[in-house]
Amino acid sequence: MKQAGALLLIALLPALVAAALHPRRPAWSRELMSMPEVTLEQTRHWEGRVLWVDARREADYQQRHIPNAVWLAEEQWERQLPEVLQVWQPGVSVVVYCNDEGCALSQSVARRLRRDTGIDGIWVLKGGWNAWLGAQKRRS
Amino acid sequence: MAGGAKAAELIARGARLALAALFVYAGVVKALGPGEFALAIDNYRLLPFPLAAALALYLPWLEIASGLGVLWPKTRLGALSLLAGLGLVFLSALASGVARGLDIECGCFGHGHAGRPALIASLVRAALLVLVATALLWRESRVPQKGKPIVP
Repeated sequence: MKQAGALLLIALLPALVAAALHPRRPAWSRELMSMPEVTLEQTRHWEGRVLWVDARREADYQQRHIPNAVWLAEEQWERQLPEVLQVWQPGVSVVVYCNDEGCALSQSVARRLRRDTGIDGIWVLKGGWNAWLGAQKRRS
Repeated sequence: MAGGAKAAELIARGARLALAALFVYAGVVKALGPGEFALAIDNYRLLPFPLAAALALYLPWLEIASGLGVLWPKTRLGALSLLAGLGLVFLSALASGVARGLDIECGCFGHGHAGRPALIASLVRAALLVLVATALLWRESRVPQKGKPIVP
């Protein structure tokens, strides 16, 4: 117990220093750290200047995806990113989606995209692929 | 018999080194990016975000301290207890993520592959780590401590 207690205490000091000084320390609120979200309805006002990025599994993307969406997954990042950048143009907003609200892939891909490319207008689609599917069903 | 005991000690030493290396590496990678680790913890939707953020700052250093502690006889028992405990916590979180069908990354080694298959692979890996840590802990608890009576 003493040994474990000592280790627990030893770990506390660098953790406190990190909390105060680490340049990549977390904010204390999720909202401050999340990528901004956009609804499908809002993207309709962007007059087609949207690059859709599908962050789901490749099999799901191949089966069906938002028209003209490009696939970008973390496990194929080095291979896929140049292809995505070839398609992107300045002034075009990037909207990343995955399955639904419970899927964190879109946030993760969007964050990494912003970090690696410096592109400003990167969003996450609220409700993801399911939101888009629902909208298609309501139209038909 | 003596040969068997030597072999067992060699295996235990190798297992301790591997366990220590893995946890120190995992701790260092996460300590370099606590913000991302906080988001990875938050993705499991088990804790309020401020607590996830606090854990993201603390857990990597606990992994590093415990990993190094395994290598030193004076802290080995406590370190193995902590690593087994940490492993159980990670295992539970991963099992919960898999059971709820979450499409997230493990967060175990900083930035990793996301998605259900990767999560299941992480679950299996965590289970193995818990097994190894527990086996080493059991073995270490039977080692006579200085000043304490030998337990048969």
